[in-house]
Amino acid sequence: MRRFRPITALFLAPLALLAAGDDDLFFESKVRPVLIKRCYECHSTEKKTKGGLALDTRDGWQHGGDNGPAIIPGDLTKSLIIKAVRYLDEDFAMPPKSRLPADEVAILEEWVKRGAPDPRTGDATKAAKPKRTIDLEAGRQFWAFQPVANPPAPAVKDIAWPKDAVDRFLLAKLEAKGLKPATDADRHTWIRRISLDLTGFPASAEEVVAFTNDNSDAAYAKVVDRLLASPAFGERWARHWLDLTGYADMIGTSNEVFAEHAWRYRDYLIQAFNQDKPFDQFIKEQLAGDLMPASSPEQRAEQIIATGFLQVGDLEIVNPDKAKMETDHIDTQLIKIGGAFLGMTMGCARCHDHKFDPVGLEDYYGMAGMLRSSPSSGKMVGFGVWSTIRSVTLPESPTQFAERQKAEADHAAKLAAMKAEQVKLTEENKAVVTKLAALEKAAQAKPATPVDKATPIAAAPTPKPSPEKDALTKRRDEIAALLKTKGSEIQHAEFFKSKAPKAFAMQDDAKPADMPIYVRGNPYAPASVVPRGALRVASWDKFPAIPAGQSGRLQLAEWIADRRNPLTARVTVNRLWQKLFGEGLVRSVDYFGERGERPSHPELLDHLATRFMADGWSQKRFLRGLVLSHAYRLSSANHTEGLSLDPENRLFWRMNRQRLEAEAIRDSLLKVSGELATKSGGPSLALEIIENTGALSAAGVNPPSYHHRKSRPSQEFERTVYLPVMRNGPSSADKIRSFFDFADPAGITGQRNQTVMPTQSLFLLNNDLVRKRAGSLAKQLIAAHADENARLEALWLRAWNRPITGEERTDARSFLKEITSLLKTPRAPDALEAARWQELCHSLLASNTFIYRL
Amino acid sequence: MLQRTACGFGALAFQDLLRAAVAPTAPYTNGVAPKAKRVIFLFMQGGPSQIDLFDPKSFINDRHGKGIDSPLRKEITQVGTEKFLALGTQAPVRPRGKSGMMISDLLPHLATVADDICLLRGMNADNPQHAGATQQFHTGTFTEVRPSMGSWISYGLGTENQNLPSFVTIHPQGIRTYDNSFLPAAHQGTSLTVPASAQSLPIENLGNASESAAIQRKRLDLIQRMNRQLKSDVVGDESMEGMIKSMELAFRMQTTTPEIVDLSKESKATLDLYGVGGKDTDKFGRACLLARKLSESGVRFVQVSIGGWDHHGDIRGNLPKLCAQTDQPVAALVKDLKSRGLLEDTLVIWSGEFGRTPWSQDLSGKSPIDKHGREHQPESFCSWMAGGGIKPGLTYGESDEMGYRTVAGKVHVHDLHATILHLLGVDHLKLTARHLGRDFRLTDVYGDVVKEILA
Repeated sequence: MRRFRPITALFLAPLALLAAGDDDLFFESKVRPVLIKRCYECHSTEKKTKGGLALDTRDGWQHGGDNGPAIIPGDLTKSLIIKAVRYLDEDFAMPPKSRLPADEVAILEEWVKRGAPDPRTGDATKAAKPKRTIDLEAGRQFWAFQPVANPPAPAVKDIAWPKDAVDRFLLAKLEAKGLKPATDADRHTWIRRISLDLTGFPASAEEVVAFTNDNSDAAYAKVVDRLLASPAFGERWARHWLDLTGYADMIGTSNEVFAEHAWRYRDYLIQAFNQDKPFDQFIKEQLAGDLMPASSPEQRAEQIIATGFLQVGDLEIVNPDKAKMETDHIDTQLIKIGGAFLGMTMGCARCHDHKFDPVGLEDYYGMAGMLRSSPSSGKMVGFGVWSTIRSVTLPESPTQFAERQKAEADHAAKLAAMKAEQVKLTEENKAVVTKLAALEKAAQAKPATPVDKATPIAAAPTPKPSPEKDALTKRRDEIAALLKTKGSEIQHAEFFKSKAPKAFAMQDDAKPADMPIYVRGNPYAPASVVPRGALRVASWDKFPAIPAGQSGRLQLAEWIADRRNPLTARVTVNRLWQKLFGEGLVRSVDYFGERGERPSHPELLDHLATRFMADGWSQKRFLRGLVLSHAYRLSSANHTEGLSLDPENRLFWRMNRQRLEAEAIRDSLLKVSGELATKSGGPSLALEIIENTGALSAAGVNPPSYHHRKSRPSQEFERTVYLPVMRNGPSSADKIRSFFDFADPAGITGQRNQTVMPTQSLFLLNNDLVRKRAGSLAKQLIAAHADENARLEALWLRAWNRPITGEERTDARSFLKEITSLLKTPRAPDALEAARWQELCHSLLASNTFIYRL
Repeated sequence: MLQRTACGFGALAFQDLLRAAVAPTAPYTNGVAPKAKRVIFLFMQGGPSQIDLFDPKSFINDRHGKGIDSPLRKEITQVGTEKFLALGTQAPVRPRGKSGMMISDLLPHLATVADDICLLRGMNADNPQHAGATQQFHTGTFTEVRPSMGSWISYGLGTENQNLPSFVTIHPQGIRTYDNSFLPAAHQGTSLTVPASAQSLPIENLGNASESAAIQRKRLDLIQRMNRQLKSDVVGDESMEGMIKSMELAFRMQTTTPEIVDLSKESKATLDLYGVGGKDTDKFGRACLLARKLSESGVRFVQVSIGGWDHHGDIRGNLPKLCAQTDQPVAALVKDLKSRGLLEDTLVIWSGEFGRTPWSQDLSGKSPIDKHGREHQPESFCSWMAGGGIKPGLTYGESDEMGYRTVAGKVHVHDLHATILHLLGVDHLKLTARHLGRDFRLTDVYGDVVKEILA
């Protein structure tokens, strides 16, 4: 082999020279310079000790790094340093950029052979930075790890103002600051606010009128109860939860494999919110529903689906290094558990004790052991490096089973019919081809009979037109095209034949076990095994024993959902608060650690956490309390005093204005135009449309893939939460999510961004979504009201939930007139009317009043 | 704290980001005068075959069509490579220019600028699939979503022109190649399509929904009157004010954007240089010419992408097609930048997300060797860089005799990122952004500047 030749040529020269040398001299003159020049930059106590290895002391290589001692004196094959410089294994080759010259390799080999004489002293571990140890007791002094208290509501001067204990906590701080709360928002603003917050779209004109005509104070509660009971509530609030899970209908960002069962988890969430599932139970089901008792197949299925929480995130499934992939998956799950329930960043502790928070390797690997005992992925047979996410077959009720059997029978019949047609076409094709060949043969067999002997030059034979042959050729081509289509239809139908329902879910491994700490996150460098457990700093007691044969997920779930857990309830109520008031009491809603923000109202936060838990962890009752508070009723307008004393509104002297999320904008447009579909749910991916699927063949290099090229017709009018979430760019089903700060389906987004971009303005000005809704709205207004004034009043009430002002009326009327003069003529009167009203409706739907909630 | 509100594309938003180069006072400067002020990245999605274009191997050529006797044969578990046949280069690869850089006959135009570019023959990446590798090439990682390098550079350096975005991506291959992730939205790449005709739009939603511009203006005026009224009702709101300004900008973009992408005012010589109007070269030629225009106008990071390099089968028939589409435009870009004196401080990068195997791939299992293709190879591949402080005419790095692994001059994607930032005057260790309580950087915890290739 050519590449080794120069190495052997150089091999002997330096060795002969050195053989006689004294060991110390040999080290000083030959070895040390190589180490300094080639290794110290990354492996010395002075600079870095990559992989934990220092080579500037004897002690350094004797203790070695993550992989153990670097040198076994005298043993070339067992000495890792020799293995590395020999560049035999790419993953274990040093120096990383290019191999050492052969003479330097020879020096190191000679050194090891001699027993690695090394005069250097010094303690590698002492010289290295002292190891930081986590002081749990000190850590527990941090506010977020203190037990949740139940502080009494403070006394206030203005006793008439508070409607709820919440108001007293807020008012006390405002009074201390000498700041008066803003005035109340008018009733129109309030009903638009509450409708958007609880259901994700504005109130209908009738609902606005009913509320504003009801002067009793109970009118507010009536509206709130109606909204909380509507199915739209779950559809909106499930999406808030989805923002914490990395949910998408595709498996991972780095592949195009579809997550065909993911929608079941989304539908589970919508149902959970609508049924007001107690939050502690909600936590337990999502982490360990499969391990909980169930009284019916439906309940069992529901609990299995719930564990999709741990499976729907952005997962890499094409890593050839499966050990690394497994640890990456566990990491994704731990980051999610930490972020969603505990407000802690767990990811750091994968490689080292957390730099700022009392979260250590032991905490991380204690929890990781539980997840490793219920692996999330497995090898996908037949597709090289690909893996697949674990899915579990769901139990069915007898009715569900019967329905599926019928669906399967129908599908089989359909498939059989397609195949019969394919056979028929194939046979016809055979016949046609045979006939064509016969014709061809006959034509060739005919002797050329010159018609006119006098003109033999004109012998260039013009093929005789044969209508029969033409017809057959045409038919042959038709059949070829038909067979091709039929082939892909059959392939598609076979692939997507009705199967037993499945969900991406968790399941305990046959042999659950504790796992070792992976040094620097490296699965090939296991260190000491740590017992499975939870975050020690947030624990009030020893972690309960995990029954033999179980992963420990259930015990972890119970620990998180325990009323003594200092983080869970605080993190949860803070998020709920943020959704209504715009900012959290702790503004870093996903992170309660040292580098996060401190609560603006610690007592209020604890009051809310206590109240939430005491009231059976009911989210609906909790939200009801908040939205009926005086604070929620405040106007969002600024006033000078507030702006100067508390410009950031940390004391909530006014309501925070919010730009609507992408979903709320789209859903509001559909609602206002009267086109919003009422029935939804079920699979988001339009897998039944052949163009959307790819690589269905079992013989391909890649597993089956999905591209949302075409939507189901119904998807144009469904709520946004039901549309497929793609990981690589927006799906054509709704472009709006890519323009208006949709939560990246890879991370944890407790609070959406509210950016302002000209591309958003372009969307509002020109996109079909807005344009078409404006057209439908215009048509309905025209049909419902003959009179221009009545139309204007209806439009304002419907789009903005408030009456039109006098100025606006004048402006709108002159706008309509101007547009009329600019529109192309001639036009039928109906078309002219529709066109000018579409322009007006479009203006309202693209306005700030529409896309902000006050 | 993460910025929750930000503005992009245009005059009104970019005042604070306007900079000619990295500010010497920026906390992340590397203390060296920046050699490059802007970057043009030519992304060849699919994995161009380095062994055919830049790194021929006599070991393979000698065994063309025959099984390779190597222990690798057992290790490699790729589909359609079971026979492990050597696949020789598709066309001669020869020394070019004074430097003698090896370039294929398939790239005759590039061969004429060999002395201007620096060929990296020891590129390395970690993921063997397109999406993952593309993501890593652009963001440094494939296991989670992070900002793309264009976004990082925009974030670190701002823009040179207040009327243009700092990061433009022409014909992007997926959102991960231009996503800002947790960086402020102003740093997201603005996606442009080079219009194939006067009717098609370079940016989404740029076409007026109303019947005429006059009607749309009336509509916008009404919206703005209502928006201003609302703003005064709530006594001021920065976000709403931003939206009002952005509406005006959006309206103007409807006319200014088509002007920017309009190539009709370029000289015939320039159009010819790029192959605009050529049968194969028109589309990519337009894209490269537009990249030069944008770069010249001060766009910090311009990316031009083209797919189609994924030659699993019939590489003999398919590779020349891609070369024909891209070779002339790419070489034209280097020449054009040079003749305008822009190459000095413009860094040009050409790369795929990985390369291809020296052994053949045959998914059908039945094709003759001439119809075979090659599998993906992140273990070792070739890229090149030019201008902006890069040593011209240098061939750096070496692969083993088979062309499978790097034996010298290894440049991992992280090292490439570190080097790009270094040339822009940025220390890759110091350019960080706080997200969820942690400081992130483009190179994660890796990356070394490749000093050997610096001029």
